[in-house]
Amino acid sequence: MGDSAAGVVSRTRTNEIDFALIGHQESWRAAADIIAVLRGPERTPLPDDEIKDILPWIPPRVVCYVDVGSIAGAKARGLYIDSFIPPDRLEAAYVHENIARVRKAAACAIKAGAKVVSLGGFSSILIEGNFDQLPERCDTAFTTGNTLTVAFIVQGIKKMCELEGRNLQRSTLLIVGGTGDVGIGCARCLAPLVSRVLLSARNVERLRKLAAELQADGVEVEIATDLQRFSAEADVVICAASLASSSLLLGRIARDAIVCDAGYPKNLSPTVQMPGAKIFFGGLGQITGGMKFAPDFHGALNRHPFPDVVHGCLLEGMALALERRFEPFSQGRGFITPEHVVEMETIAARHGIYLAPLYNAGGPLEDGPLEAGVHAHTEWSRA
Amino acid sequence: MEPLIDVNRSAMECTSHFSTAPIWQDILAQAMTGELLAAMNYASLSEICDDPAEVADALEHAQGERGHAASFAAEACKIGVDVTNNVDAKHWKRLRDAFLRCIAERDFIACLIVQEIMLESFAVASYARVGRVAPGTLGQTFARIAAEEEDHVDHAMSILRAERDRNPQRFDDKVHRLHLDVMTTLAKMLAKECKDGHCEVCHASCVKPSLFDVSLSAAELRGASLQQYLKTLDMLGIPGEVTLAWVTQLPV
Repeated sequence: MGDSAAGVVSRTRTNEIDFALIGHQESWRAAADIIAVLRGPERTPLPDDEIKDILPWIPPRVVCYVDVGSIAGAKARGLYIDSFIPPDRLEAAYVHENIARVRKAAACAIKAGAKVVSLGGFSSILIEGNFDQLPERCDTAFTTGNTLTVAFIVQGIKKMCELEGRNLQRSTLLIVGGTGDVGIGCARCLAPLVSRVLLSARNVERLRKLAAELQADGVEVEIATDLQRFSAEADVVICAASLASSSLLLGRIARDAIVCDAGYPKNLSPTVQMPGAKIFFGGLGQITGGMKFAPDFHGALNRHPFPDVVHGCLLEGMALALERRFEPFSQGRGFITPEHVVEMETIAARHGIYLAPLYNAGGPLEDGPLEAGVHAHTEWSRA
Repeated sequence: MEPLIDVNRSAMECTSHFSTAPIWQDILAQAMTGELLAAMNYASLSEICDDPAEVADALEHAQGERGHAASFAAEACKIGVDVTNNVDAKHWKRLRDAFLRCIAERDFIACLIVQEIMLESFAVASYARVGRVAPGTLGQTFARIAAEEEDHVDHAMSILRAERDRNPQRFDDKVHRLHLDVMTTLAKMLAKECKDGHCEVCHASCVKPSLFDVSLSAAELRGASLQQYLKTLDMLGIPGEVTLAWVTQLPV
């Protein structure tokens, strides 16, 4: 273990970079907001077609500084580095180009002297099985941030069940993208808590391996590469991978299923096809000790209806920095265990990083202070 | 200052056999104008250098740029087009005036920033793109000159890095001041549409809408140029978040 929170409080602030967050924008709207902030209020916003022409040419680079605080009094300074992966190139066809961008973003973090780096969104998906593709790392530790993402997904499922009065133990859990790092972590954490697990992914061998592991612990498991092949309906669903369409779930989930959209980008929304489904965006946390951007990208970089909400993967880097544990907490694929998840959520909670209030594309699902100036049904629902 | 070489040839001497020749004609006209402007800039630079070695270096560069212009003229002849350069065309003249202001201030570093960091970034990136799609020796010439221009940049980088090390803030402020002047003009030149009227270099209407016919686009040339510029500024050590804001604030 590293330093305790109490030990951290007494540290002197320096200009050192404790953490770096590598991310990208998941929609052109979000990218436009970033460009608008960079241009400043005195210049007219760029038209959408110009943004689509210019953004793909921007090399990965630091966009802003991020200062975070802990409820225990610790502070950490970080950088947000955007890889500038164009939002319409988050597909397999661009994987090599995107990995090259993540590598360059990682090089920026190393050059800045960041002690721990979180790989946000697609960045971690691209690298999670290929950490050797990152540049020579010197003293910089890289984490996918997936452990805290898993923690918040699991917490979100439990909370949603509580809000809806469901008994998780009687549930059939479906995990889409079950053999990715996040999917495996969720399966290990939730399998002992439900009555049956359905695992879906493209790779049959990996599905079989995970199923065997869970079955060895007495869990009833079914696997399929095609959602339509499962013998039972799921009433709790985790989409750990983005679905091409929510209609793929039709007929395979209960009418009133709880659905956690933990994919990237998040693209499930309450639809006429699934009017009874309880969809929420999973894997998100809230940092309650304060977060400031310089320049001020507040509301542009964290486009959520509640204040200081951030993806769990990025929060993991902040939590590790506040804890002064500059280590690659989450690396590779398939190493997240329930014990790791408990350890990470304990670290996060010690610094006031908790599960974010639940919401989906239609609005908040529970009470909480809304982000100032953000209108739930207009601004952020476009993200 | 040495006289410009005569790179304008009569179309009578050449025979056009490319259906896309009018497009290459305008691309070559812009490139030749840029090279001749660079030659003029280096010749001017030689006049403010104190060190004989620097004088010789500047004159050698001027000669090299004239050689590039001559190479482009030869390519124009091969495809049978008459290429007219115009260093007094409005945008190019503005760029020349910006450089001459640096000369008037006898600011050697500012001259290098304008010519090597800004103008050459655009030359390197756009020539490289043209080199990939232009046919035959035309493409080879653009690619070769792009590589030679890149060598220039490398040469200047060591001088500029050393200058920045002495006082980073002062250096970055100077680059920003020059950026506002020079890059604003370059951004207008590279905008997808010429909003300020004819550029006075294209032989007829604006070439930009026709670039698709030769597998290019104005957006691509602009994007590649801005990318090269950002990478060059990165190599100088100017913080990426600062240069990102500079570039996104340019006109489109």
